Amino acid sequence: MGRAASIIGYCLAALAIPVAIATFVGMDFFSRGLVAATGLKVSPWMNGGDIIQVVERGGYQTQIHQPVFDGLFGEKEEGFVQVDWTPLKNLPSVISEEVDFDRDGRADFKISLDVEAVSAKITNENPRIKSLEGCYKLKDGRAVRVWLINDKR
Amino acid sequence: MIQGFFLGLASGTVCLANCAPVLLPYLLGEGGKIPRNYALLGQFMGGRLAGYLLFALLAWAAGLYFSIMRHRGLIFGAVYIILAVLMIYTSLRKTENKCLGNCLGKPLIPLTLGFFTGINFCPPFLMAFTEASSIVNLGQCMLFFFMFFLGTAVFFLPLPLVGGLERFLLLKNIGKLAALLIAVYYLYTGLVMIGGS
Amino acid sequence: MGTKPWKALLLTLPMAFLLALMMTQGKLPDALAARVAVILTYSLFSVMFFLIIWSGKTYKYRAILFTIIAVCFCFSFIANLIEIRGSMALTKADILAGDTPFCHLVIPAVIIPAALTRTIIFPGSMLEGFASIASMLVLWAGASLVLGRGWCSWACFFGGFDEGFSRLRKKALIKKIDQKWTYLPWAVLLAVVLLSAATLSPFYCQWLCPFKAVTEFEQVTSFKILVQTVIFVSLFIGLVVVLPVLTRKRIQCGLFCPFAAFQSLTNKINVFDIRVDTDKCKNCGICIKECPTFSLDSKSVGEGRTLMSCVKCGKCVDDCPRGAVTYHIKGTRVNTGSDTARVLFAYPAYLFMSAIGGSMIVSTLAYLINYATAGSLYG
Repeated sequence: MGRAASIIGYCLAALAIPVAIATFVGMDFFSRGLVAATGLKVSPWMNGGDIIQVVERGGYQTQIHQPVFDGLFGEKEEGFVQVDWTPLKNLPSVISEEVDFDRDGRADFKISLDVEAVSAKITNENPRIKSLEGCYKLKDGRAVRVWLINDKR
Repeated sequence: MIQGFFLGLASGTVCLANCAPVLLPYLLGEGGKIPRNYALLGQFMGGRLAGYLLFALLAWAAGLYFSIMRHRGLIFGAVYIILAVLMIYTSLRKTENKCLGNCLGKPLIPLTLGFFTGINFCPPFLMAFTEASSIVNLGQCMLFFFMFFLGTAVFFLPLPLVGGLERFLLLKNIGKLAALLIAVYYLYTGLVMIGGS
Repeated sequence: MGTKPWKALLLTLPMAFLLALMMTQGKLPDALAARVAVILTYSLFSVMFFLIIWSGKTYKYRAILFTIIAVCFCFSFIANLIEIRGSMALTKADILAGDTPFCHLVIPAVIIPAALTRTIIFPGSMLEGFASIASMLVLWAGASLVLGRGWCSWACFFGGFDEGFSRLRKKALIKKIDQKWTYLPWAVLLAVVLLSAATLSPFYCQWLCPFKAVTEFEQVTSFKILVQTVIFVSLFIGLVVVLPVLTRKRIQCGLFCPFAAFQSLTNKINVFDIRVDTDKCKNCGICIKECPTFSLDSKSVGEGRTLMSCVKCGKCVDDCPRGAVTYHIKGTRVNTGSDTARVLFAYPAYLFMSAIGGSMIVSTLAYLINYATAGSLYG
């Protein structure tokens, strides 16, 4: 038993060297494998979630993300929707738009966004809209996040 | 009323996620065995139920729902602060490993913790509060909250099993220190909520 | 317990070969500054490995290199940030774009949300860019298998700050530290895990990480971020600079870091550990006094083991006057008088150290050479 344990110990210790090498040599392979096997992705609370609607505005785009309600278990009763405007160089000085994030053909909120000042005001057209969470600079544009109430709950 | 129970069942995990930062360090900090932890959980849940029923009363009382929601920041901010102070107190006081009987004799702390987590920041509770505000009959309103409480309570049952680790003295210290850290965060959150309101 | 020079040289050759492959990938860079930097870094790593093997002193040379890596990491990281972003401050645009490099310290906080929601609560990228989330997870998994909590002394690119500051004074000004403080990393871990899960945000990064002071931090645009800034600056000054200087201990690593506590668990599955030969030990207490991470106490020494928090830095091994403390491979006899376990551990540990730290030293040297020759860090 002692001798077997000793042999196993030395074998595992020696194995540590190829494992260390494989970690670096196979980094890309293992990373992609990890993502493919687990389906892990960045939380939509961080990146705003997937873009589900792109509206061409003649020179610039309004990109509407999937509303985010993801909770630790199921959905939260409050979430947000992120809307981006890009590219920056083609944005008007003030963006005034109606946004229909749930694609029911009716505007959910009206927004007036001052591109230079990075500030925005919204007017609710849908009782699900709670308030403006914030207005942000993007690398190549502007974005807002609007708090929503989850009507599925 | 079964709707309240299912609402509780559906959102119990969220309740658990919100209450665990308070309850888990507390249970670890008490360093009790599993039966004692269930007694503590019972008191905690009793406190939660009391909090729910109190708010059922408020929800039923005409007009109070709206005034509470209007001063939500102030009220919940204050509750956060009270909770933080309680957690700081429980983490700094000396505890002894008492038996089940003695523990039941002093139910104040877990009961109070339960009460304030119950009426506090738990999002499903706020949802239940909204639902219950439309119920006209006080008895029905109370029953709705009671059923909601039962639905959520199921998810708390495994927590006292941390008592299986009570032989590790260090877990008791870890629980107390963690409660202190979480309390500081809640204190800050409470102050900001009050400041923001 | 050292090795004869020829034998040490022979044992260094395979490492020198692997280092050459890692640092050049078969070809020296074209730019002169980068080429000189690679050659200098390669020489430094090769010489240090030889010294570790030849002298029998693990801690002495590892600690020097470990400190250099931490300083170079921060230097090159900040220089790179200023080059591409113009500032150390992380803007909301960077956060929304997922441009934040992922770091191992956040791993414990993301596990529960990852398990329950299959999402990572960190504003980085899964596969793209520098320090992507998946690549750091793979790196951590590999290192945990090979080193256990040895990560904290061989792979962590922040630990060298604590280590460096703890070595500045010859004698400690604060000698008595209550044992109960060693529970704090576990408490921070518990609080961070629970609050990260409850808020679905990387609580440790936002509120507690001291190393934001020497890497990147969120641009102050609100009262909340101002409070967070005051906290991380205070923690860095207190835990990483002042207390290590006063105590000669790695205070941040030993008494605060939640990742360190979490990483302690990996010591259980790692084949290497540090053992005390109780027959040889005279209970002089030097190892307990000198351990930088509070990983030895009289009870554990009596049992011939370190505590679970051992970082395998080699300080106790170097300092034991009777050679009673040794690197050990689980399943084998304790203190056979052979250096095999230490050498077998040194190889993979040094590979991680050089693979992680090598590029940081190369970048820093290249920046400095650029500065010396062209008057600008960026050439």
